[in-house]
Amino acid sequence: MTLSSGMQHRSPDRVAVTGRILEGYPKEQRYTLAMLQDIQKEFQFIPRESMELIADHLELPLGKIYSLATFYKALSLQPKGKHVIKICDGTACHIRSSQMLANELYTLLKIRPGETTGDGQFSVELVNCLGACAIAPVVVIDETFYGKVTPAKLQEIIAQYGDAPEQSERSGGVAHD
Amino acid sequence: MKIVIDGKVCEAERGEYLLTVARREGIRIPTLCHNDALPGLASCRLCIVEVVEKGWHKVVTSCVYPVSAEIEVFTASEKILRMRKTLIMLLAARAPENETIGKLMQEYGLEKPDRFKKENSSDCILCGLCASACEKIGAGAISTVHRGVTKKIATPFDDPAADCIGCAACASICPTGAIKVQDKSGTRQIWNKAFELLICPDCGKPVVTREQAEYLRKQMQGNPIEYSGDGTVRCERCKKAAAADRFRTAFL
Repeated sequence: MTLSSGMQHRSPDRVAVTGRILEGYPKEQRYTLAMLQDIQKEFQFIPRESMELIADHLELPLGKIYSLATFYKALSLQPKGKHVIKICDGTACHIRSSQMLANELYTLLKIRPGETTGDGQFSVELVNCLGACAIAPVVVIDETFYGKVTPAKLQEIIAQYGDAPEQSERSGGVAHD
Repeated sequence: MKIVIDGKVCEAERGEYLLTVARREGIRIPTLCHNDALPGLASCRLCIVEVVEKGWHKVVTSCVYPVSAEIEVFTASEKILRMRKTLIMLLAARAPENETIGKLMQEYGLEKPDRFKKENSSDCILCGLCASACEKIGAGAISTVHRGVTKKIATPFDDPAADCIGCAACASICPTGAIKVQDKSGTRQIWNKAFELLICPDCGKPVVTREQAEYLRKQMQGNPIEYSGDGTVRCERCKKAAAADRFRTAFL
């Protein structure tokens, strides 16, 4: 379709990085979600220019991409923190006081679920069942699962990430699937 | 094959949708999101009917249920009426002020629901018919955005739609009249955007938007009959009159 409006604020970096991601995929609509996932991983959110580039690349209307990007919880239109803390609020975790963990995180980081710290280090999300009910309550930071978490333990866990703010978000991962 | 709908024996082809068969036989099944040009949404759920196949009863949405066996269908059984009433109440909770929904409530003897108060009531029932129409036309300017309680029909980022051609197909297809389009002094307002309306050179009536005319021209390449040679667009009436004139001069 036609080139989309709002291009005046395009960041050259984002355009270049997005372009490289798109090059890795055939020009087919079915790869849209995979492209968006890569972009989310790269920028911790989906920049507008990336969506416009996908639309142009696949010759789809921007609305199609926007619809997809706003539908999935794994994709965010707001920049997420470097480390994404997911508190499971499934039934088992909820009963085992996941809410207390959210409160503890508020004391530690001064952010509520859905928010990001001012320094861009942490985001907190309240998510649905992660399928690890046996070790409830569960907290997942980036791709690492922490089970039977208590408020005291949570403080220790966060400290690991807080002490090394320069660390890449992927280096802490042990539970890749 | 033969199927029985509400006691009436109907001829149906294999794979034909139940709603199509019923309508052809003059049996009324209420729908909101169904349009013959854009079938297959099945999002309003109003067209549910009870299908009996080999003694088994099941509830299906008739607009997407292909006939594949000799079935018996009930479009207004006690169960269906009960379920349909619930569906109408849910739609009414979403769009309490809407006229179309109001008529349905009246027809089914329902009172306005006082549960599920919505702060910002709208006329939109989120069936998605407008978005399908927009996509089918080729513009794809609007789509469903977000999901769950925040789901809505919108342009990307709620901006004036870059891809919109101002054809207002979305507004004209909307079953509940939820999309606002305003034509005033040569300008059309829709989706936060203003479009210039082209005037018929013969009668002065506004015909289509400039963007729409350009889009059509691009799509209809090699089919100049739709347009008068000078780049203007005639209204349907004057186009017919002009064609009749051409015919007259050519043959008389």
